[in-house]
Amino acid sequence: MSMDHLRWRPTVNERDFIERVLQSDLRVDGRNSFDFRTLKITLGREDGMSEVQLGETRVMAYVTAQLVQPYRDRPNEGTLAIFTEFSPMADPAFEAGHPGESAIELGQSPDSCFCNLSIQRCVSMEPNVDCLRFSPLRESRAVDMESLCVVAGKQVWSVRVDLHILDNGGNLIDAANIAALAALSTFRRPECTVGGDDGQQVIVHDPEVRDPIPLTIHHMPIAVTFAYFGEGNIVVLDPTYKEEAVMGGRMTATINSNGDVCAIQKAGGEGVMSGVIMQCLRIASVKAADITSKIKKAVDSYTTEKDLKKVKRLPVSVPQKIHVTDVTMENKGDGELETQTQTAKTPSDVQQISKDPAPMVEASSEEDAQPVTDSSNAEAKSTSNPHGANGESDEAQEIGSPKSLKDAIKPKHKRKKKSGRITSYHCLRISAPLPPPQRAFLQDINK
Amino acid sequence: MESRRPPPSPFVENYVVPGDVVLDLSEMTNQTIKLGAGLRQECDTIQATSSGKLRLSKPNKYWVESSQKRYTPSVEDTVLGIVVDTKPDNFLVDIKGPNLAFLPVLAFEGGTRRNIPKFEIGTLIYARVVKANSIMNPELSCMDATGKAAEFGQLKDGYMFDTSTGMSRMLLSSPTCPVLEALGKKLSFEIAVGLNGRVWVNAPAPNTVILVSNAIIRSESLSGIKQRAMVENLLQKLT
Repeated sequence: MSMDHLRWRPTVNERDFIERVLQSDLRVDGRNSFDFRTLKITLGREDGMSEVQLGETRVMAYVTAQLVQPYRDRPNEGTLAIFTEFSPMADPAFEAGHPGESAIELGQSPDSCFCNLSIQRCVSMEPNVDCLRFSPLRESRAVDMESLCVVAGKQVWSVRVDLHILDNGGNLIDAANIAALAALSTFRRPECTVGGDDGQQVIVHDPEVRDPIPLTIHHMPIAVTFAYFGEGNIVVLDPTYKEEAVMGGRMTATINSNGDVCAIQKAGGEGVMSGVIMQCLRIASVKAADITSKIKKAVDSYTTEKDLKKVKRLPVSVPQKIHVTDVTMENKGDGELETQTQTAKTPSDVQQISKDPAPMVEASSEEDAQPVTDSSNAEAKSTSNPHGANGESDEAQEIGSPKSLKDAIKPKHKRKKKSGRITSYHCLRISAPLPPPQRAFLQDINK
Repeated sequence: MESRRPPPSPFVENYVVPGDVVLDLSEMTNQTIKLGAGLRQECDTIQATSSGKLRLSKPNKYWVESSQKRYTPSVEDTVLGIVVDTKPDNFLVDIKGPNLAFLPVLAFEGGTRRNIPKFEIGTLIYARVVKANSIMNPELSCMDATGKAAEFGQLKDGYMFDTSTGMSRMLLSSPTCPVLEALGKKLSFEIAVGLNGRVWVNAPAPNTVILVSNAIIRSESLSGIKQRAMVENLLQKLT
């Protein structure tokens, strides 16, 4: 009873009104029956962080990874675990640390979409005890687990997604799913190599030394939730908080943009005719394609912005008029490289830059390709800029040349074929620490 | 001795934050000042304890007004409550405050033990706060001070939604709030505003109710002119 009086209950008036207007195909917030609320995806200050706002609902996702021992029956696969935090600031009905029934349902649905191995909180035991849940079915594997293996049987990456519910405005499942997907798409795990005497030691490289690698995401399973009213006749999409309190039943369909149904979840509630379910699945696949494109757009613009930021980190000695040279590298599947360089002074060229990263990013989701400017061809050669602005870039080259060679020497294990790499060194991380031998070499050059 | 009015505090109608000294009592002698919410006496000074706008109601009542999503019960406020439970003596009513409020079963016009109203759980009630302090559950009444019903009681049909307390005060202010004025020119509806941040709207057509409720929810952060423009937009979309 202590927290019970804080739980919001709908009034008789609201219940009657919502059901009555639904009979005439109206919704209380003015939407159509199958409209999503406005979706806003904010990709955070760092990789692997996202905040999603779906109408009034806000969810934040945060992805981390660490090396662990794999499960004995799956020695060459990593793991993906999803934890959900229901903060009392989201809804007075949530108590800190103690998930209720709705929490369990919410915690289960992203898992069923992502992988067939998950760790969850169980409410019947102490709140702090996690229990393992093996799903016997091979459910859709959106994130590739085998690429997370480092040393089979000994060390694998365990990726953990923490979902924080910031505001409960209804339809937490969809919002949480989108947040998790966006965060996983921008997450970068540190690169590691296996070495040492016995070939079993794993060396994890600092992100400043070697670029971290994105996860391999095969497809994006999007959860679309439907609410049923009035004995299953009336269906709406994306229920709000009040509609959820009044609805008779709910169904979540998880579909990807290819039209594959990854999961369907309907826990109790009103019975629904199979024809209605099929109609819902059709609508869901349309919505899933729409949401997938929104997520991809947000992720792409975040990745581009981040890469541009890397490019702009030039030393102070470079005069202001050449304050940035933007380089985009495209890594096509067969390793063929195309480079385009432009200075910030040519606005027409800047247009091109916005188009180029797009194909690159798609390619990166296929295999673990390096992010754009990373093709930091360590062997920077002083080839000249093919695209005009020759004089300027030459100048830039010279002024920046001590840095350029410094980066040239930095060891990169991924060597791309070089064709027309130019003032690429301008875009490299100048601030990275150098191992001593190179510095000595550098000093020689300066003299 | 001429009675001196206390010099009005320089902060009146301005925003204060906790700790601001609002009045200096050493200058005033033989004056009675009434302090409302958000003010506290510290020796010779009156200090603000919550942030908001300092208001003065002549002759001598001061209080700090702020807008929140949750409500702090205070006496003589009219609120909209939801019945949560019934007891032999009281209805337990949720008024968005820290505690549930009690509505005595006899606090209705002509209420006797024989004609206790039957409210089911989820009934919406328009009531007046009779007793409120931080340690006890607040008490409500569905009668005005003279014992008449005066519009208090159960609200039937219609639709209720939540706003902030500041928005409720704006809706109840006189002259009429711009959004209500603009809506009232074209549509006919009835509205009940609770100072605890709840608003009830009723109209013959459901469309009207939806329009009015959305217009009010959206007008919270808009200025008067923008409110009118927004209402114009909404009305045009419908017709």
